[in-house]
Amino acid sequence: MSDSLSPSLEKALARLNKRFGARLLEQTVLYGDVTCVVAPEDWMRVLSFCKSAPQLAFDQLDSLFGDHLPERPEAPFEVVTHLVSHKHGHRMRVKTSLAEGGSLPTVTGLWPSAGFDERETWEMFGIVFEGHPDLRRLLTTEDFEGFPLRKDFPLQGTIGGRIRTDLRGKV
Amino acid sequence: MATAHDTHDAASGPGGVPVHMIAHPTPEELRARKAAGRIRLERNAELMSLSMGPQHPSMHGVYRAELELDGEVIVSARPEIGNLHRGVEKLCEHRTYHQIIPLTDRLDYISSFAMNHGFCEAAEKLMGVEVPARGRYIRTLAHELCRLSNHILWLGTSIMDLGTQTFFTICFRDREYVLDLFEMLTGARLTHSFGRIGGVAKDLPDGFDHRCRKVIDFLPKRLAEYERIIKQNRIFIKRAKNIGIFTSDDCYAWRVTGPTLRAAGVARDLRKDEPYAAYPEVEFDVAVEYNADVYDRFLVRMREMRESCKIIRQCLDNLPDGPFLAPDAGHSLALKKNVLHDSAAMIQNFYQVFQGPQVPKGEVYRCIEVPKGEMGVYIRSEGGAKPARVRFTTPSFYHGQAVPALVEGEMVADMIAIFASVDVVLGDCDK
Amino acid sequence: MSDPVAELVFLIIKAILMPVIIILMVAFAIYFERKFAGFFAGRVGPTYLGPWGSLQSFGDVFKLISKEDVIPSRSDKLVFKLAPYIAFVPAFLVMAVIPFGSVGGEANLFGYRFDYVISSFDTGLVLFLAMGAIGVYGVVLAGWSSNNNYSLLGGLRAGAQMISYELAMGFSVAGVMLMAGSMNLVDIVDGQAGAFWDWYWIPQIVGGVILFVASIAELNRTPFDLAEAEQELVAGHLTEYSGMRWGMFYLAEYVNMIVVSAIVSTLYLGGWRAPFESWNVIPGPIWLFIKICFLIFIYMWIRWTIIRYRYNQLMSIGWKVLLPLSIANLVVTAIVISVVG
Repeated sequence: MSDSLSPSLEKALARLNKRFGARLLEQTVLYGDVTCVVAPEDWMRVLSFCKSAPQLAFDQLDSLFGDHLPERPEAPFEVVTHLVSHKHGHRMRVKTSLAEGGSLPTVTGLWPSAGFDERETWEMFGIVFEGHPDLRRLLTTEDFEGFPLRKDFPLQGTIGGRIRTDLRGKV
Repeated sequence: MATAHDTHDAASGPGGVPVHMIAHPTPEELRARKAAGRIRLERNAELMSLSMGPQHPSMHGVYRAELELDGEVIVSARPEIGNLHRGVEKLCEHRTYHQIIPLTDRLDYISSFAMNHGFCEAAEKLMGVEVPARGRYIRTLAHELCRLSNHILWLGTSIMDLGTQTFFTICFRDREYVLDLFEMLTGARLTHSFGRIGGVAKDLPDGFDHRCRKVIDFLPKRLAEYERIIKQNRIFIKRAKNIGIFTSDDCYAWRVTGPTLRAAGVARDLRKDEPYAAYPEVEFDVAVEYNADVYDRFLVRMREMRESCKIIRQCLDNLPDGPFLAPDAGHSLALKKNVLHDSAAMIQNFYQVFQGPQVPKGEVYRCIEVPKGEMGVYIRSEGGAKPARVRFTTPSFYHGQAVPALVEGEMVADMIAIFASVDVVLGDCDK
Repeated sequence: MSDPVAELVFLIIKAILMPVIIILMVAFAIYFERKFAGFFAGRVGPTYLGPWGSLQSFGDVFKLISKEDVIPSRSDKLVFKLAPYIAFVPAFLVMAVIPFGSVGGEANLFGYRFDYVISSFDTGLVLFLAMGAIGVYGVVLAGWSSNNNYSLLGGLRAGAQMISYELAMGFSVAGVMLMAGSMNLVDIVDGQAGAFWDWYWIPQIVGGVILFVASIAELNRTPFDLAEAEQELVAGHLTEYSGMRWGMFYLAEYVNMIVVSAIVSTLYLGGWRAPFESWNVIPGPIWLFIKICFLIFIYMWIRWTIIRYRYNQLMSIGWKVLLPLSIANLVVTAIVISVVG
C-alpha cells in the first residue's frame, strides 16, 4: 500500500487545484487516500465541480457523514464525503469543518443518494442541510431528543435505558 | 437486434447462445423499455395509502414503505428505516479495535464474516499491518463461503416472495451445508467473528479441506438445477423480465452497487478493481448482464455463486503455509496456543486485550465487495486504542433509499419482486 | 318398489352422511396438503399428532377454537361474521346433486331401493356455477367488512378474478352439457357408460383442461392466489380474520376444492363409473372417491411447485386465453354433434 497515486487521480487533483487553488484549505495524502479540506462556503462549488469536470468525473457519492471533534472548539463539527469515479476508477475524500450551529447546502441535487446520508448526519450531529427535501429523523425514533453521535451524548442515552412506556398509544 | 423477449433463452450461461452474439441494450433503450412497461399514471381517484411493513412476511426485516396507490400502481413510495438501529457507530467509539469485530458481525448478519473482513481491512490499512499469505487465503475462502450463503438465502427468499415456498425450503437445505462448514471453521453458523486484525481467528481445522471440497463439488450441480428451473419457468420470466429496470446512471446516482450494478452492464467488482486479501492471486470472472432488470439480477447472482465455488476451490488448492495471523505484537493478538506457554505471547495478549492496539493518528477509508454490494469502512483515530469515529457505509442503506426510484410507477406485485432483487437486509441498513 | 317412508329415511341418512364425510375429507385433505408440501420441499410435514401426524387437522381445529375471537371494532360486524358462512355453505349444496353411484338402478338396502344421490336435480350444472358465483360474495364481503385497506384490495382482486374465470368455466361445462344432452349430473354420468375411453375427457379434453385451470382460479389457489398472497398483502381479504373464523375460510377452500374435484370427475372422468366395465362390482362411491383424491393431489402438486402470476397477467390469461378457447370448444362441440348426430 504505497502512497503513490494513480495517474488519473494526479490529473484530477491538478485540475482541482487549478480551478480552486487557495480555496482548498488543505490537501493530504495518507495511506493512499486523498483528502481535500474546503471551507463551508465552497462546499457546493467544489462538489459540483467534482461531479461535472471531465478529469474528475466523480459520479457516485460513496458516503457522506459527520464527525465531532470537541477538542477543536472553534469548528468542532466535520462533514466528510467520499467520492468515487467509475469512469476513471479513483476516489477522493472532501471534508469541511463547521462551527456549532453551522449548516451546509444539500448535495441531493447532485447525487440523490445523499438524501439518507444527510438526514442521518443531521439526526446524529445536528448539522442542518439547507434545501434538503425531507430533513427528519431517520434511524432514531421520531421523538428522540439530542444528537446521539456527539461526543458529549452519553453512551447509555438520556432516559436511563428503560422502555418508553410513556409513549404507549402515542406512537 | 435481439430484444429482451428473445434473450431469455439465449442466456449467458450453459446451454444458451453465447453472450457476444446478443447486442447489449444501451441505457437509452433500457429507459425506453422501462417507460413502455409502465402503466400511465392517472391521478384521478383518491390515492390509497398503504403501509407495507414493518411487520411483513416479505419485507426482509423490519423495513417499512409508505405507499400511495392508485389502484394497483404505486404513485409514491416513502421508505422508513431505523427499526433495527442499534447505534453500532456510537458503540464503536467506546471499544478497542478488537472489540469492534463482534459488532460488525451483526451488521449484515447473513454474511457476517464479510463485515468482519471489511472492518479488518480498514483497520489494517490504518495500522499498517500486513496480513500473511495464509491468512489472506483463509479470509478469501471464508468470504466466498459467505457470498454463497448470502446468495442462496437471497435466492430462496426472492422466489418465496414470488409465490412458492417449496423453493425456499430447498435452498435453505442447501445453505445448511455451507453453514455447517462455517460451524466447523469458526464455531458459529451465523455471527462468525472470525476476522482478526492481522488475519483470522483460527486455522482451517482437520477435515475441513475434505468437507469443503465435497460441498463445492456438490453445490454447482444444485445451482445448475436451480438455474434451469428458473430459466425455464414461464411465470418467473413474466414476473422478472423487464421489471424494475435500473440503469447504470440510476445506480451511480443512488449509490446502488454490487449485483444490481453489474446487472446494469457495469463490470465493477472491487475484488478486481481494488483488490484485497488473496483476490489478485485467484482467477475468476466478474458476472455482468446488460438488461438491468430483475431477471438479470438473478442471473448475475447465480453466476457469482458459481464463481465463488471456483474461488474456494483455488484457495483450497493453493493454500500457502505459514501463520494465519500477523505476528505483529503491537496490533494483533497472539496465538491462543502460545499464550499459556510463552511469556512474550502472554504479554502481547494481555496488552492487546486490556489496552488495545497501538494505532497512529489518521483517518482511512476502505471499501470492499461484500455479497450485497460495496461496503466502506471509515476509521478516524486520534492515536488511542479506541477509534474516534467509525463509519460503516453499508450497501443496504442505499438500496433501501433507492426503493422509490425503483418502484414508483410499478405495480404492487412488482414491488415485491423488485425489492427482493436488490437484496436489503435491515441489519445492514440500520446499523 | 319404492316406499315413501324408506325414501325419506334414506334421504335423511344421505343428507347427514354427506356433510360429515365431506368434513372428514377436508380434515384429511388439509393434512395431506401439508404432508405433500413437506415432501415436495424435502421435508416431512406433520409427524407429531397421531400415526404419521394424521390427526394434525383435529389438533388445529381445537387450537383455532380456543383462540380469542378478535373482531375489528370499526368493521361491519354482521357482515364480518356472516362472510365465512357465505363462502362455506354453497359448496355443500352442490354436493347434494352429485351422484355417487347408480341412480334408478338396483341398489338397495334391506330390500328398500335407494338412489346414490341426494337430489337428482335437472339443472345441477347450473347450480354448480351459481354456487361458485355466490362464493365470490363471501370473499368480497370479507374484504370489505374488515375496514382495512389490505383486505379491501385483496377482496376486490379475488372477486374480479373469480368472476372472470367463471365465464370460462361456464362455457367449458356447456360442452359437456351438449354431449350429454342434459344438465342433470345423473344423466351426464349415465352418458359416460362404458370403459374409460367412453368418458368425456377424450372428446372434451380442451374443455376439461380449461375447467381445471379455471377452477384453480375459482379456488384462489396458487398460481392464482393473489387474493391471499401472503407475501404481498399479508393475508389479503383474510387479514382481520383469526381463530375459528379464519378456520372457516380455510375449510371453505378445501370444501370447494373437493366439490370442484367431484364435479370435474363427474363431468369428464365418468363420475362413479369404474374404468373398466367388469370393475363395477366395486361400488360407485369408491371410484368417485378415488377420482376426487387424484384431482386433489394434482391441485396440491401444482400449488407447491409453481410461482404465482401477477394480477394483470392472471386476468389476461382468463380473458384472452381461456375464454376464447372455451367458446371455441363449445362451437366445435356443437358442430360435431349436429353433424355426427
